[in-house]
Amino acid sequence: MIHFLIVLFGVTMLYVAATSRIEGYIRVLALQGVLLFLLVMTDWPHLQLLNLLFLAVETLGFKTVIIPWFLLRVVRRNGISRELEPYIPNFYSVVIASLIFAFGFFLAYWSLDFAADIKPLYFGVSVSTMMTGLLVITTRKMLVTHVAGFMMLENGIFLLSLAMAREMPLLVNLGVLLDIFMGIFLLGLFATKIKSTFAEDKIDALTDLRD
Amino acid sequence: MLIAILMLFPLVTGALLLALKSKTANVAAIYTYASLHLGITLALCVRPAALAPFFRVDDLNIVFLLILSVLYFGVSLYHGDFLRHSHLNRRWHTWYAICLLLFSFSMTGVILSTHLGLLWVFVEGTTLASAPFIYYEGNKAALEATWKYVFICSVGIALAFVGIILLSMSAGDRASLFLDDLYANAGSLSPFWLKLAFPFILVGFGTKAGLAPVHAWLPDAHAESPAPISAILSGTLLNTAMLGILRVYRIMDLAGQAAPARTLLLVMGFLSLFVCAVFVLHSRNYKRMLAYSSIEHMGLIAIGAGIGGAGMFAALVHLVAHSFGKAVCFLTAGNILSLYRTREVSGVRGLLRVDRLTGWLWIFGFLAVAAFPPFPTFLSEYLMAGAILASGKIWLLAIFLLLLTVILAGMSHTILRMVSGVPDPALQPQRTPVFNYIPQLLFLAILVILGLAMPDPILGLLERAAASLGGGR
Repeated sequence: MIHFLIVLFGVTMLYVAATSRIEGYIRVLALQGVLLFLLVMTDWPHLQLLNLLFLAVETLGFKTVIIPWFLLRVVRRNGISRELEPYIPNFYSVVIASLIFAFGFFLAYWSLDFAADIKPLYFGVSVSTMMTGLLVITTRKMLVTHVAGFMMLENGIFLLSLAMAREMPLLVNLGVLLDIFMGIFLLGLFATKIKSTFAEDKIDALTDLRD
Repeated sequence: MLIAILMLFPLVTGALLLALKSKTANVAAIYTYASLHLGITLALCVRPAALAPFFRVDDLNIVFLLILSVLYFGVSLYHGDFLRHSHLNRRWHTWYAICLLLFSFSMTGVILSTHLGLLWVFVEGTTLASAPFIYYEGNKAALEATWKYVFICSVGIALAFVGIILLSMSAGDRASLFLDDLYANAGSLSPFWLKLAFPFILVGFGTKAGLAPVHAWLPDAHAESPAPISAILSGTLLNTAMLGILRVYRIMDLAGQAAPARTLLLVMGFLSLFVCAVFVLHSRNYKRMLAYSSIEHMGLIAIGAGIGGAGMFAALVHLVAHSFGKAVCFLTAGNILSLYRTREVSGVRGLLRVDRLTGWLWIFGFLAVAAFPPFPTFLSEYLMAGAILASGKIWLLAIFLLLLTVILAGMSHTILRMVSGVPDPALQPQRTPVFNYIPQLLFLAILVILGLAMPDPILGLLERAAASLGGGR
């Protein structure tokens, strides 16, 4: 069951690399939130109730509902549906993402020699997810997509902190701050200003400052 | 107790300011916190204290705290007049003051943290608290700079977090994330995970410190934010991120993994010098030129730390010297901006005729960051060159000197063009208020004293800090 969930999580990232529909990215974010929730619930049944509640709010509330809903609103209001003209074609994105996954698993099984207490599947998928998130940020142009890519990076980090059992509660809770940080920042900057200043939420519109 | 005051005062005062919404109260709060911060820091220099278990003054962070206090105090003097003439309405004026309090609060937090996770949280806090300042002008360029700042630093901070998770894996059950614990048990950390963790933390905190190749936010943010904020960003914010790097470097050193860490520091350091050398040659915007110079100096500090030994001491001297020198430059750039109303180099001519003191401050500020004697940057770069030579890498020294010469040529060309010549006759400059000179004069006086005859207590402070990082003189 746990393995199935993690593999499903990895597949969503391959879908991200393949698609150019922005609503697709956002749906993937919501789906990943649910998957993370299920993972926490199935893999750590012995957690304290308070901590479990906190993680449920984080994964289901924040990652699954609030951020995707917010991004979806921005997308619908601005009438943008596709990522036009990414820096590299989608086909190559998929190829690179597949290579990233191969690398992730190579690293995970290689690292087994050095630390027996690591869960290789978690580790491999999380490393691949983080790298694919960075790939999305660097190869796409829309600001909304950048935020979505950052959230995927965060989900990968969440998965990584699940990969290690010992400092689990502390590190996971610290990682939640990243989400809150992103939330405040989105509300403060993205919603109020970017929309009114730029007709399109394109990173291309933000390239005046240069040398 | 002292540390508790230091940490609680800005939070309580911030809440009060929000309730009062009075411009006088805002300025008074900034002044009060600056004086309080300086007083407490001086007391902590004499008698180090701790707020167990999360905050403590030690041999290393006292240097950073002292720079922050003195610089923040000087910049507050500048802020008085700056805020009187700003275009902000009462609401935003209040938020400006609150963000300034929170900004220095979070930087103090980074400096005093004894726990790596807590340190990371405070670094995140500095981004949140300082982002509104970059949007100060409220136009499209300001928005772009703010967006880049927040987004690039967020990605950086996320990568640093990955590094901390990997470090925690390396510690396993043998150590918590408290720095003391990590230092004490460094020998038993798993080298594999440690070596994997360091690049993430270096790139993550390096983003915040403005090290190339992850410096992209820095020129925009420094150019767009108001002068006193640029001074704080360059003079103290970059330092605090550097402290995070140095803390983790020490773990690597104690764990016997110093070699890869040093190589990475050197690579990023030299890349930073290179980036600055490329862009400074034809800079059109004088605030961007100063920002690129900050990248250069952060690179120099990374190089000093990467060389190790005597280089570590040189890096710390350089840290102090750069903070005050760059603050002089950015504050004076604020004067120039209000005289000429442009950030373009081409719009500024005959600075010495328009405002003699500002012109001389601009020249001396430049000399202070360009490592001319009697300023301490000369001392530190000299020591650094000596340390590189002692490490036996003569080709590295050649590149080092070549890049520094190019940067010097580029900057001096721009500076001399600005101060000399005849000003545009249509220009109607207003008088610069006296408080827009005093902080720069204060900082220059500090620098000259440090450069000519470093007082023994300061020397001792820097030596102990270098020793705590495994370096010597």
